[in-house]
Amino acid sequence: MTLTVALAGNPNCGKTTLFNALTGARHHVGNWPGVTVERRSGTFEHGGTTMEVVDLPGTYSLAARSEDERVAVHFLASPEVDLVLNVLDASNLERNLYLSTQLLELGKPVAFVLNMVDDAENRGVRIDVPALELLLGGPIIPTVGNREQGINELKELLGTMARGESNRCRSITVDYGHDIEGELAKLQKEICRDEQLEASMPPRWLALQLLENNVEAKRVVSESHACEAITQQLARSFAFLEPHLGADGATLVAERRYGFAHGLVKEVASAPDDKKSPTAKLDALLTHRVLGIPIFIGVLALMYSLSFVLGKIPQDWIADAFKALSTFTAARLPAGELTSLLVDGVIPGVSAVIVFVPVIMILMGCIAFLEDTGYMARAAFIMDRLMHVMGLHGKSFIPLIMGSGCNVPAIQAARTIESPQDRLITMLVTPLVSCSARLQVFIVIAGTFFTPIKAAFAIIAMHFLGLGLAVLMGRLLRSALFSGPSSPFVMELPPYRLPMLKATLIHMWEKGSIFLTRAGTTIFAGATLVWFLSRYPGIANREWTLEYQQQRHAIAALNLPVVESEERLKAAQLAHESRIVNSSLAARLGQKVEPILRPILDPDHKRAEAWKDVIALTAGFVAKEIVVSTMAVIHQASEEPKEGERLSPLQVALRDGSGLTPLTALAFMVFTLIYTPCIGTIAMIRREAGSWRWAAFTVGYGLVLGWGLAWVTVALGRAMGFA
Amino acid sequence: MTQNLPIPLSLLQPGDQGEVVLVQAKGQVRQRLLEMGFIRGARLRVEKLAPLGDPMELVIKGYHLSLRREESSCILVQPVAG
Repeated sequence: MTLTVALAGNPNCGKTTLFNALTGARHHVGNWPGVTVERRSGTFEHGGTTMEVVDLPGTYSLAARSEDERVAVHFLASPEVDLVLNVLDASNLERNLYLSTQLLELGKPVAFVLNMVDDAENRGVRIDVPALELLLGGPIIPTVGNREQGINELKELLGTMARGESNRCRSITVDYGHDIEGELAKLQKEICRDEQLEASMPPRWLALQLLENNVEAKRVVSESHACEAITQQLARSFAFLEPHLGADGATLVAERRYGFAHGLVKEVASAPDDKKSPTAKLDALLTHRVLGIPIFIGVLALMYSLSFVLGKIPQDWIADAFKALSTFTAARLPAGELTSLLVDGVIPGVSAVIVFVPVIMILMGCIAFLEDTGYMARAAFIMDRLMHVMGLHGKSFIPLIMGSGCNVPAIQAARTIESPQDRLITMLVTPLVSCSARLQVFIVIAGTFFTPIKAAFAIIAMHFLGLGLAVLMGRLLRSALFSGPSSPFVMELPPYRLPMLKATLIHMWEKGSIFLTRAGTTIFAGATLVWFLSRYPGIANREWTLEYQQQRHAIAALNLPVVESEERLKAAQLAHESRIVNSSLAARLGQKVEPILRPILDPDHKRAEAWKDVIALTAGFVAKEIVVSTMAVIHQASEEPKEGERLSPLQVALRDGSGLTPLTALAFMVFTLIYTPCIGTIAMIRREAGSWRWAAFTVGYGLVLGWGLAWVTVALGRAMGFA
Repeated sequence: MTQNLPIPLSLLQPGDQGEVVLVQAKGQVRQRLLEMGFIRGARLRVEKLAPLGDPMELVIKGYHLSLRREESSCILVQPVAG
């Protein structure tokens, strides 16, 4: 027998820690159907009963306005749930009890966990648990979640309750007073005319939501055949209550609930003492008027270096290992289609997926740490003014900055933003922030066409252009997509707490594995597709393969010194690959779309081989750094500079042979910055936004915007007399 | 500080205290503010302003909350002497 326990509570009440303590490592992370809210569930066994625990999103209320609340209410009201476990933060009891007053209305047995009792005691708050249990009408277990205190007792209690053997449950609901209760009864009577409606949720709960003017409740009613009767009764109730009690329904209901919570707290808890809490002392420094911002920048710098400097070390190992594997395989297998699929398609594809894992895990670990300590809310508090100007939320700042390391984990980092609108906009503009992979392309191109100082300026300009565009697009998308008022910035600043290492590690592991399973397949598929586009049909040409093999044999037969022989072998390989790539499907695509790109990359129509840029840009779709290595193949020139020379053979070839001028090179850089996010970013947007539509939108607007700005670059440059 | 007329919360300075008189916001913001404890008679204290001057941090119902000026200007409070 499996029984389902829904874990409900406010944000920051220690729900997730308790969930981990209950279910251990055995849990599953997925999405709630149809939405992008994470669904975490796990099981534990007690006394022969298997209990499935479902961790609901943390909410302050069940008013079903936000995505999180809708998910929570819908699940709580479903017959699937046998038992509700409400986690209460003992150090913030009154506000936590507001949600409890709603949970008690849902008609399911409710048990309570009084968490963080130690925090409350440190603040001088002592809670009379037996008295609270009596007044709430449900069993209460005091715990300290991060020390796993009281967990066994809790499991025991859940077991007996779920089997219906507990006698500690009495159903208690808030008494809304004579007038409101009278109107509630009348509304319930009308609701009960529709049996289906009556069965779908407790009539009293629906009546309360109607009094609160809840949009979702009104929608449910509008589908009922009793709609007219209910609506009329509601109008009568409002007409009676509002003048009589001096406020609208929503205020009255909230007041009564808080009245109940306030009365309870007065009854069972001692008042906190006046001494300054550790949180207040820390905040005096961390959100200080002058020091707040420098400290935040320091935290950001630390997080950035941990993720992208420290994270680069295992990333390089992975990349090197795969490169070695690919070289090893290439040397052992005969040249041909299958070898190429393996060496140029599958191995780099798998590598392109796995290299992200260390960075994702470290960055997500840092963010989870900041969230769990409570600093994330302060970071948003500090930066909100600036981000608000951009039409975004204070919490959007961190993903945008992290985007300059790598867009992929940055988009995942946007998950800390509660409002779905703000989160979506942040995800859609993050790809405009220039990442370290694009930096590699800029270094090669700028280094070729500009003097070192001008090149440095051009590269910095690209980064500012990216950030500036993110700001502009943020504002534009906000007004274009969501014309309504932006979601309210009513954010709790929770007390600082030291997170548990175990929780952070579990979180990192989850993020890494979710990336591998959900985004990994897309990235791999994309990499294989691009391999196909850039190798066929040439790779299947037997004559070319045979010629190449003969060349290799011929070189080997010359008995040259090792160094020279290897150089010649490399040159032959490059020539062979170049022939394939330059006649590939991607090359044909390049010739087809060349007229479109002509205004930005070849304004004077002097470049015979401008279509070759398209091959490099197509390859850049897999990962931007591949643009450089593809150019090396296209132009048959190595990307590694010879000793003592500033420019690599590739750069020399680009300067002398590609026909790009400094101005069109700059336009090329602008286009590379914007034209499309890499496949990893696209896969992540798809996963986090929950639909291909937004991923496609990002690619689409990137291409249009990239072309437009590159065109502006060329037009402006020519107007100013540059070539 | 003794005043008879309620004023918008956004006009309170760090350290000031007040009692909620009315939440003037509409729709989603209104419901959210009510849930977070901005009900008639609730005591609050302004803690500080963010380094860039907005949002504000305040204490209500024993916990800390941050509000943008947009929201705090539609909450009427009666200043109370601390």
